[in-house]
Amino acid sequence: MSLIEINNLKVHYPIRSGFFNRVTDSVKAVDGISFNIEKGQTYGLVGESGSGKSTTGKSVVGLEKVTSGSILYNGVDITSEKNRKKLNYNRDVQMIFQDSLSSLNPRKRIEDIIAEPLRNFEHLSKNEEKMRVLRLLDIVGLSVDALYQYPHQFSGGQRQRIGIARAVATNPKLIVADEPVSALDLSVQAQVLNFMKKIQREFGITYLFISHDLGVVRHMCNNIAIMNKGRLVEVGSRDDIYNHPLHIYTKRLLAAIPQIDVDHREEHREKRLQIEKIYQEQSSKYYDQNGLAYPLVKVSSMHSVALPPQEAKKYSEKEVEV
Amino acid sequence: MKQTGENYEEISTEDLKRLSKQAEKEAAPSAGRIIWNEFKADRPALIALVIVVAFILFVVIASLFINTSKMMETNILDYFDAPFKDGFLLGADAGGRSIAQQLIVGSRNSIGIALGLTVISSTFGIAWGLISGYFGGFVDWGMQRVYDFMMMLPMTMMIIVIVTIINNYNAVTLTLIFSCFYWLGTSRLIRSRTLAESKKDYVAASITSGTNPWKIIFREVMPNISSLIIVDTTLSFAENIGVETGLSYLGFGLPAQTPSLGTLIANANDPNNITEYWWTWFPAALEIIILCLAISYIGQVARRAADSSQRKSNK
Ligand SMILES: Nc1ncnc2c1ncn2[C@@H]1O[C@H](COP(=O)(O)OP(=O)(O)OP(=O)(O)O)[C@@H](O)[C@H]1O
Ligand SMILES: [Mg+2]
Repeated sequence: MSLIEINNLKVHYPIRSGFFNRVTDSVKAVDGISFNIEKGQTYGLVGESGSGKSTTGKSVVGLEKVTSGSILYNGVDITSEKNRKKLNYNRDVQMIFQDSLSSLNPRKRIEDIIAEPLRNFEHLSKNEEKMRVLRLLDIVGLSVDALYQYPHQFSGGQRQRIGIARAVATNPKLIVADEPVSALDLSVQAQVLNFMKKIQREFGITYLFISHDLGVVRHMCNNIAIMNKGRLVEVGSRDDIYNHPLHIYTKRLLAAIPQIDVDHREEHREKRLQIEKIYQEQSSKYYDQNGLAYPLVKVSSMHSVALPPQEAKKYSEKEVEV
Repeated sequence: MKQTGENYEEISTEDLKRLSKQAEKEAAPSAGRIIWNEFKADRPALIALVIVVAFILFVVIASLFINTSKMMETNILDYFDAPFKDGFLLGADAGGRSIAQQLIVGSRNSIGIALGLTVISSTFGIAWGLISGYFGGFVDWGMQRVYDFMMMLPMTMMIIVIVTIINNYNAVTLTLIFSCFYWLGTSRLIRSRTLAESKKDYVAASITSGTNPWKIIFREVMPNISSLIIVDTTLSFAENIGVETGLSYLGFGLPAQTPSLGTLIANANDPNNITEYWWTWFPAALEIIILCLAISYIGQVARRAADSSQRKSNK
């Protein structure tokens, strides 16, 4: 059994308008996605801005009201609040937020911020609690002075680490990391990522790692899902995605990874332009008349791609032969 | 779950105390300290604060030594005594009653009502707005319909009608009647800020940290709109002084035998008084102007203190 099983998850936001404030339409932020996260792995969720990554992540931690579909945690559907309460779900599943500044209450001292989940889920004495907070600060590499300071007194990287300290405080089993490093410069990015890997090894944490940066995801994730306009376009292992991408959207994302290789700069440029051209030509083929991706079809045991119907047929026939 | 602890070397209790103390020295100043620093950095505001506090204290204490029923007795011989005549510091009115004494007792009554009204209506309005804005959905919908209904009622007329129906009322009942109507503006203001504030990620983080909604509303969201609350409360205090005064002026506030700033200003209703016997209404009018100005000035300083980017003091 997977740690997390997401089945046909949909999150639609109603758009109200008109005199009676009636629901007239909806934003389909997440529109029928399914994937599984195995224990101990880092699962990457990649997509451009507005593709619904954060909404997916927030649904997994139970912050979003799900329109339909289910999210099973160890087999229990946690889209219902009752089940989450029964499981003490958020003791096991925590989130690192995309915007570190807004995720820390500006009116609270760091001590109170980090201790918040401890106070609710573990009933420690004052001294034990302080000890834990100090250790957490130590783990994320902040000094004791931080204890009585306020969030605005820290840099972006330090704030992100405070958010991480809070997320790991209760020793959770799954952490949804929503672009934990995209606001940071490269040197700090590496620091935070390595740190996340380190605590993963130590505590056996599973990550749902959300990012729009395929370079970072390659460094972190074993399995990857590519998201586009609320749907998944390609799901597979790191090797599948990076070395055998099949969907034009994935190819385009990969071509956009900046290369430091100075000698072949012109070549990369050529290739990028070529892929962009193919993307423009074929986008009508790869997306349906509403501009949305087709359903996923299995092309190998791990690898699924949202192929257009005629190509999908080829693979489903092959599967029958096998 | 003790895992984290065992992976890092134990810290002794003494170390812990020392480290905490060290950290405390580095700590950011407390809210009270910040407000005080802000007042020190702004001389006129400090003066305004001193005036308001000293005046309220003086009025409360001095009124203890005044026998109100005796003060309100008519004394024909002192009819419109000018200031400083017959020992009347501020003169006397048509009934020969001391204006100075009425001013003291009247100020206490008016300020008391305004203060009570501010405390009750702001508390209620803030709670209403916070709850409505935080929970949203059906809760918000229901609470806003109540708000809309209350808004529809003609407020001043309702108060006048109620006051006329209840013939046996005093300062306390009057405050309560006012409070039923004066929480509306505050609640709307607070609700709109709460709506925006609740969307921020620190609220989401508190939810995933397992904090219950009431605690999130009053311990997480409320402190973050404290500047709005402080400013709104101070300004409504200034405004509320006008509420009772206005109604008493029209003759629907406190009963005639209970002096207030409003009944004193009502002396100006008589055209004779306006020019000839100016001392009967002028001190009360001047007092209201000064009080309201000073209070709104204090409100501004409080807003600056609550909003770190606007501070004048560099502490
Ligand atoms: N509360 C909301 N009400 C209405 N629409 C929303 C709401 N939250 C998100 N959306 C919409 O849902 C879509 C997906 O948003 P989401 O935040 O999940 O994107 P994202 O993939 O995380 O993007 P980014 O990389 O910019 O963070 C967007 O089009 C957004 O406008
Ligand atoms: Mg996002």
